[in-house]
Amino acid sequence: METNIIEKLNITFRKVFKDPQIKVYPEMTANDVEKWDSITHVVLIAEIEKDFNIKFKLKELIAMKNVGDCIRIVKEKLEN
Amino acid sequence: MLKKIQNACHKYKDNNAFFINGTYYTYLTFAQHISNVRHIIEQNHQADSSKLIGVITYNDIHTYASILGVLFSGYGFVPINPENPIDRNESIITQSGIGIILTSTNYPDLNKLNNIAPLKIINTAQIEDSKIDVNIPDIGEDEIAYLLFTSGSTGIPKGVPISRRNLHSFIDAFFALGYKVDETDKFLQMFDLTFDLSLMSYLTPLCIGACVYTIPSGEIKYTSIYSLLEDQNITVALMVPSILSYLRPYFEDIRLPNLKYSLFCGEALFNDITSEWFPCVPNALIQNVYGPTEATIFCLTYDWNKDIATEKSFNGIVCIGKPMNNMYSIIVDEHLKELSAGEKGEMCLSGGQLTPGYWSNPEKNKKTFFKYNFNGVERTFYKTGDLCFIDQDGDFMFCGRIDHQVKIQGFRVELSEIEHHVRVFTELSQVAAIATTDVIGNTQIILFIEKFTGNIDKLSNYLKEKLPSYMIPAEIKHIAVMPLNANGKIDRNALKKSL
Repeated sequence: METNIIEKLNITFRKVFKDPQIKVYPEMTANDVEKWDSITHVVLIAEIEKDFNIKFKLKELIAMKNVGDCIRIVKEKLEN
Repeated sequence: MLKKIQNACHKYKDNNAFFINGTYYTYLTFAQHISNVRHIIEQNHQADSSKLIGVITYNDIHTYASILGVLFSGYGFVPINPENPIDRNESIITQSGIGIILTSTNYPDLNKLNNIAPLKIINTAQIEDSKIDVNIPDIGEDEIAYLLFTSGSTGIPKGVPISRRNLHSFIDAFFALGYKVDETDKFLQMFDLTFDLSLMSYLTPLCIGACVYTIPSGEIKYTSIYSLLEDQNITVALMVPSILSYLRPYFEDIRLPNLKYSLFCGEALFNDITSEWFPCVPNALIQNVYGPTEATIFCLTYDWNKDIATEKSFNGIVCIGKPMNNMYSIIVDEHLKELSAGEKGEMCLSGGQLTPGYWSNPEKNKKTFFKYNFNGVERTFYKTGDLCFIDQDGDFMFCGRIDHQVKIQGFRVELSEIEHHVRVFTELSQVAAIATTDVIGNTQIILFIEKFTGNIDKLSNYLKEKLPSYMIPAEIKHIAVMPLNANGKIDRNALKKSL
């Protein structure tokens, strides 16, 4: 399941940051992607919610310190 | 103001003055850092050097102590953001004529800058402790407290000097607004230190012995802001309205009962989002404050009231209220004739908080400032470029910008400055930067270029070398023919509609 999430996230990230080469990994943070700032972050979250048909809580967004956290939260949501 | 801070350093020495990146710093520690900076400035400042001192802005105690250290030494500070392009910082350093720069961290670009002007660079993180000295300097009210640079239409940043009189006038007027705040309060500081709203966020709490909570570096801003507001029980928060747009999808999860004052400034505040924010901050007074950098931080305030929210808004924008103490505002037409209530015109400001004029820019000063007899006294007024009118209660209503200046993330941006750099790079003349709103309602810039066949990435990289990140267009579009209006000017409305 985790591999599926990562593959799907790759598509979302490539779309949001307009970069076909981008590949997500668990330790990745906003510092690793040039265009990842407060504004694109909002777009990224909205796109992930849309692509996975889930809705994050603010507390979950705050807890998300890297892509690994995001994968874990998405997985939890899909399992429930 | 310094007297108040001096008093806080003595009376509340064991209270926390700052919470930065998870660490608390007491007033005693802060006073020690200020004294150290003060001591090193006194050792290094030559009699003939500039009265302005540069401070490279990092989110740490040394940077805040440097700002206060400069003020306590009797000089003025020029904040320099290390994240900004080197060209911009070079222009700021050259224009302000500073000879000393204080920095807590190794800012590699400083070495390049040292080639253009001989700078004395002092590392404030490595100064030895000296005797605590927060005595008040003997200095005139006309001396500059700080010099900030805003976006200029010629492509060169414009300096706005704020005198000690201006700053003191703001502090007095701020406390005269009757906020019930004391040494137990907790203030949010979310602003870049080159943005004057930061000054309210750290100077006013320091005046009363309260604690300043800063946003951790390198994190997504709106989630960090919310974490601080909730986890640290912040009681006073000045924010830009765009933070509300980010938080809006989560309003139903947000409850901040400890927040006493929720202030907004820097951009138009919309009534619909404010009404939705209100239940999130059930015990807070929501206040919309207004003012350009030229009139020191802010100078009009409006207490939002849900019962009359619709009446007190125009085109959905919340009222900006009335001038603070010792400030005067009028609405004029293009011939500088004062207009009466209900008539729309340009907002002009005068009073204790008004800058003595742009830094070394007599031409711009001539265009922007004028003398006007107001209530029997001849005063200097500043043309803000904001379109406003006065309602039946004498409150000011904001309608938008008269020219092409826009606000992005609270920063004032002259679209013409972006266009200027694009023209230089592309050597094409038909260029238009358009401000529009993105999916979540925030302002973004779309750039249109006629007959552009060059490389967009190269242009984009060039702009990044010249402009701060908030001025970089979100999208660059090639257009075969630029639409023109009857006057032969670029039809910006048509471009906007095409989006």
